[in-house]
Amino acid sequence: MAREAWIRKFTGRQIFVHWLFGISWLVLALTGALFLWRPDPHGTVTGLGVYLQGSVGQTLRTVHRVAAVGLMLAPLLYIVLEPRGFFRDLKELVTITRNDLRFFVTGPVFYTTGKGHVPPQGRYNGGHKLNYWIVILTWIGFVVSGTVMWLLRGAVSVQTFRLMLLIHSLSFFVGVPMALIHLYLTLLHPFTRQALSAVISGYVKLSYARMEHRQWVEEELARGTAELREAPPGAGAA
Amino acid sequence: MGRVGTWEAWQPDPRNPKQEVAMLVDVSECIGCKACEVACKHWNQNEARIEGFTGSYQSHSNLDAKTWTLIKFTEYEDPESGDIRWLFQKHNCMHCTEAGCVTACPTNALQYGDYGVVTLDQDACIGCAYCEQACPFDAIHVDRTAWDQKAQKAGKCTLCYDRISNGLQPACVKTCPTDCIKYGDRQALIEWGRKRVEELKARGFKNANLYGEHELGGLHELYVLTEPPEVYGLPVNPRVDWKVKAWKYAVQPIGKAVMGAALFGMAINWLAARRAFASAGARAGQGDSGHEGE
Repeated sequence: MAREAWIRKFTGRQIFVHWLFGISWLVLALTGALFLWRPDPHGTVTGLGVYLQGSVGQTLRTVHRVAAVGLMLAPLLYIVLEPRGFFRDLKELVTITRNDLRFFVTGPVFYTTGKGHVPPQGRYNGGHKLNYWIVILTWIGFVVSGTVMWLLRGAVSVQTFRLMLLIHSLSFFVGVPMALIHLYLTLLHPFTRQALSAVISGYVKLSYARMEHRQWVEEELARGTAELREAPPGAGAA
Repeated sequence: MGRVGTWEAWQPDPRNPKQEVAMLVDVSECIGCKACEVACKHWNQNEARIEGFTGSYQSHSNLDAKTWTLIKFTEYEDPESGDIRWLFQKHNCMHCTEAGCVTACPTNALQYGDYGVVTLDQDACIGCAYCEQACPFDAIHVDRTAWDQKAQKAGKCTLCYDRISNGLQPACVKTCPTDCIKYGDRQALIEWGRKRVEELKARGFKNANLYGEHELGGLHELYVLTEPPEVYGLPVNPRVDWKVKAWKYAVQPIGKAVMGAALFGMAINWLAARRAFASAGARAGQGDSGHEGE
């Protein structure tokens, strides 16, 4: 088998921030999702809803709030640790190209049937950008409403408090489907899960990047900024 | 009219838990003695909570998780005659037909029970106090013990469900020395209240009114008031906040449907993609995926 070339996509600091954010997000989502299994008024207590109750529930409430701090800090750490990467991401996000939009037509077909292919994408493809935007908007929703619910009860009017409950719930139901798709494509999907190495070692296979992010790879190669290596770094190496 | 000794014998039909009972407080007969507060504490075994003197005869500034009924004292100056009136209003959970607390409860601990009572399941309550924020009457509360992890539970008047389901009167009704709290069939009480309002008007209380007949789909706590409701601090034309309703009846069902659709779509995708990309195997997309050259 030919030696596979790899190209660097993320720095170690970006990976750290990604996982601080991601793990906080998952803990928050799982502790919050317990409300989906709330007892049926006309039946018995079902499923995971019982873990809302008693001392277990009180503990999970504390866990939720600890994870909330992680979620609030992650973007701030990104700005502090890796300002260049942060602002480059923002620039990418406000640049929506025709190919980003075409991704949403050709992408689902290709990722389901293997037929056709997505047009050349940048560092972030259309799907990545959508995910990033939804993460940012729901982060604002979660953090603003959550802070009020946690610390400002009684200090704000009941009208405001009720609005915050609504925003918190809305953020959940917008954010979770997107997160499920994000997790599915990077952990389970037989083709796109190759991209997972980007947030573990920082590198993706060049052949994969050429297919999925052709525009980005060609720009990096043309500018001479591409960081290539022959073999992937040990994923577990600290 | 006036004293209604006959109410004492009334019981709901035990074979028909769907019938609606109610309490009616005729404030014109209330003497502010607080016997109802004591009886409520006593029957429900709620601890005494002593508050400092604030210059009013009102025993507590507000209802709380262990104080389920409270006579509110209002010193009211009649805008026309300049007379000072001392108004008493026994305040507690109104057992609304369309209740903000039930709508807001994320664990379904609050439910619509038999006889029109709003029931609170202490086991299912997690102390989130969203009910407290949603109640238009400020009649349900959770103790604030921010750093004390003892189980915080919501508390409110139960309409003495344990008593009425066994043919007894609510404790406050049983003890009221002037019989100003009536308990009985809701429709019969409404009719009695209307007559009482007419009687009071004839006696010079021109603002007399019946409160609770239509508010929030009908309250199971009715009042014959001698002044307009806002004078007592009761909300005029209360509503369950649209934001609470949107959360329960729009965001949650639609959101669950979207989540389900996403999971279903991913399952279908996985079955198809597994076959389509099987030949690609470990090699990155070098399979038979028709790669259109750009």
